Amino acid sequence: MAKKILVVDDSKTALLMEREILEKRAAYQCVTAADGQEAVEKAQQERPDLVLMDVVMPRMNGFEACKMMRQHPNTREIPIVLVTTRGEEAYMEAGFQSGCNDYITKPVDGAELVALVQSYLGE
Amino acid sequence: MNDVRLRAARKRLAESRDQEDAIEGLREIAANFLGSEEIGLFRIDRSTATFKVLWSFGIDVEKCDLLKALGDSGMRRVISGECHVELVAREHSGAMAMAQAFVPIRFANQTIAILAIFRLLPQKLGFDGSDKELFKLLSEEAAKPLFGATAHPKPVIEAPGMGT
Repeated sequence: MAKKILVVDDSKTALLMEREILEKRAAYQCVTAADGQEAVEKAQQERPDLVLMDVVMPRMNGFEACKMMRQHPNTREIPIVLVTTRGEEAYMEAGFQSGCNDYITKPVDGAELVALVQSYLGE
Repeated sequence: MNDVRLRAARKRLAESRDQEDAIEGLREIAANFLGSEEIGLFRIDRSTATFKVLWSFGIDVEKCDLLKALGDSGMRRVISGECHVELVAREHSGAMAMAQAFVPIRFANQTIAILAIFRLLPQKLGFDGSDKELFKLLSEEAAKPLFGATAHPKPVIEAPGMGT
């Protein structure tokens, strides 16, 4: 059974590309959310194996969503990879403080993304 | 992997509901695929040989005067349909020097607008061959979603420096 990834981004373009990479190149099952709040809800419902989440989003950003997922027993252990335009150390320290496991910077390299996801899913 | 980007960009543009959504699509493509959050879109008025800033993101209009940096010959090439890509150099401070790409938006064999891509994100080291494929796609396919029925260029009154 294919592992499930929750892909979160308010950009339709980013979702299109990330889904295509993860579903067609790596055979994962993807569910999507368009902001942090929806991501927290979807993570509860769908119990994905991994969350791939943008940082800058409306309603609730990726850091906040990450914190909320870490507070709930059902989503506490799910690996979370943040996708960000900013890879500076100080900025990503805030990401790790929020509870993310790792991050990848835009523009996303497909091979790098698949390798990173596979490493967290033990593949 | 570039075909994934091209398919996603093509689909995003084709599914644009209106001009506003198409512009948002361009912004997303620039940020997610090209590594830039500073872009501008200029509509060309060929009858007066002028550019009108249609929209810009992450950069103020003053800096958009960088279009002048193209010079006459660069401008002619872009107007004739060639992408113009400046080489990127890293400054002593480690910050990225102003990288620029000028992409002609074409319709009915004429350039009707120019997409200007300015500074790149720090982790993006320059434009490569796959970016140029994406520029080509934008050049050929962005006009219709961006301008719809108004895409067709106005009758040309040739002006100095704007020959096709």
